[in-house]
Amino acid sequence: MPVLAALAAPPAGAELDGARLFAPCRACHSLDPAERGLPGPNLAGLIGRKIAGDADFDYSPVLRKAGDEGLHWDAQRLHGFLADPAEMFPGLWMSMRGLEDAAEREALVHFLADPASR
Amino acid sequence: MVRAALLLVVLLPFLIATAEPAASEVRYYVLPEGTGPHDVAPAPDGKVWYTGQGKGVLGRLDPATGAVEEVPLGEGSAPHGVIIGPDGAAWVTDGGQNAIVRVDPGSFKVRVFPLPKDAPPANLNTAAFDGAGVLWFTGQNGIFGRLDPKEGSVEIFPAPRGRGPYGITARPNGEVWYASLAGNHIARIDSQKRTAEIVEPPTPEQGARRIWSDSKGRLWVSEWNAGQIARYDPADRGWKSWRLPGDSPRAYAVYVDDKDKVWLTDFSANAIVRFDPVTQQFNSFPSDKAGANVRQMDGRTGEVWGGESGTNRLVVIQTVAPA
Repeated sequence: MPVLAALAAPPAGAELDGARLFAPCRACHSLDPAERGLPGPNLAGLIGRKIAGDADFDYSPVLRKAGDEGLHWDAQRLHGFLADPAEMFPGLWMSMRGLEDAAEREALVHFLADPASR
Repeated sequence: MVRAALLLVVLLPFLIATAEPAASEVRYYVLPEGTGPHDVAPAPDGKVWYTGQGKGVLGRLDPATGAVEEVPLGEGSAPHGVIIGPDGAAWVTDGGQNAIVRVDPGSFKVRVFPLPKDAPPANLNTAAFDGAGVLWFTGQNGIFGRLDPKEGSVEIFPAPRGRGPYGITARPNGEVWYASLAGNHIARIDSQKRTAEIVEPPTPEQGARRIWSDSKGRLWVSEWNAGQIARYDPADRGWKSWRLPGDSPRAYAVYVDDKDKVWLTDFSANAIVRFDPVTQQFNSFPSDKAGANVRQMDGRTGEVWGGESGTNRLVVIQTVAPA
């Protein structure tokens, strides 16, 4: 299923899988817009936001550069990022192994794009 | 299964002129594509273990030849930390498998110790052995845990204030402490009660990321948010801190060598930084490539090692000329 289609019609179990897949990320990130001061940027409202768009956060130089160039997060870019973050943004300060399973990436993108997700 | 490859050793030696010590030689070792080296553990036999977080392997480099051996750790593996145990084996904190993994140094046999079945993903970070030979480890999602190799069972405990447990170290007396990045504190593990007692650094929201004991049991803490190296002495409960050079330093790794010199990495400066507690001077060893991102360091006499996660290389700074 294409990424954008996945946003419109979530795959079965996507909500559950997305929450599960996001669980390890919670050590550094929050989806609660009021929660600040974590090791990673707040991810509330990520889709549509400029890259390096959390004004309270000190991003990697490579992300600041992408933001300065006017790049934004959309579902497709996020899907590609989650496959191999360091390949998309070499020198990224965040460290994580990418998700090899496209269905898992779709579920996580859908979860992050849903304003109700916390 | 073990994969072996003879890699291009790199051998890009650079003489880095520093004010003090005199001169140190820096070498780089290129790893197989996609490795994404995270932590390193130099072994007594001269080889160097490293976690390949990007491809779910534990690697071992022979610096003499440049040969690399890779040990796949299991389905979904994403290893973070590696240390050498009292048994000579490599012990890995594997966030992807939510497990502690032992790799035998002779046979490369892999033994996986999963966290309890009902445990949520812990985001396992790093481990250290206490004086009794028990492995203690951190999970960034808000746990610390123990594994007694004699029994083989894994237990986890909720960390005070939840998420954040990151680097961990053992003092010479065997006592284990960890740093909490999101929790902005360090904590002492009571191995009998299996609880953690928080010690607050004086700098608010400092982002205590990694921690290492010196030979006297004083704890050195890299403070990511504050861009500082801090020292806590449990003997007198005193703190002291020093800000790294530069406009906006970001202190990530910390390691204390056998001469009690302190080694750090500064992501903003793209450099390994040496701090001499005697002179209180910093010396910088910038990488020759952008975005090196050395996330951890460890060493042995005359050598300090790190993994350049952003350039897919290992780096060694030779501080003493080989005999």
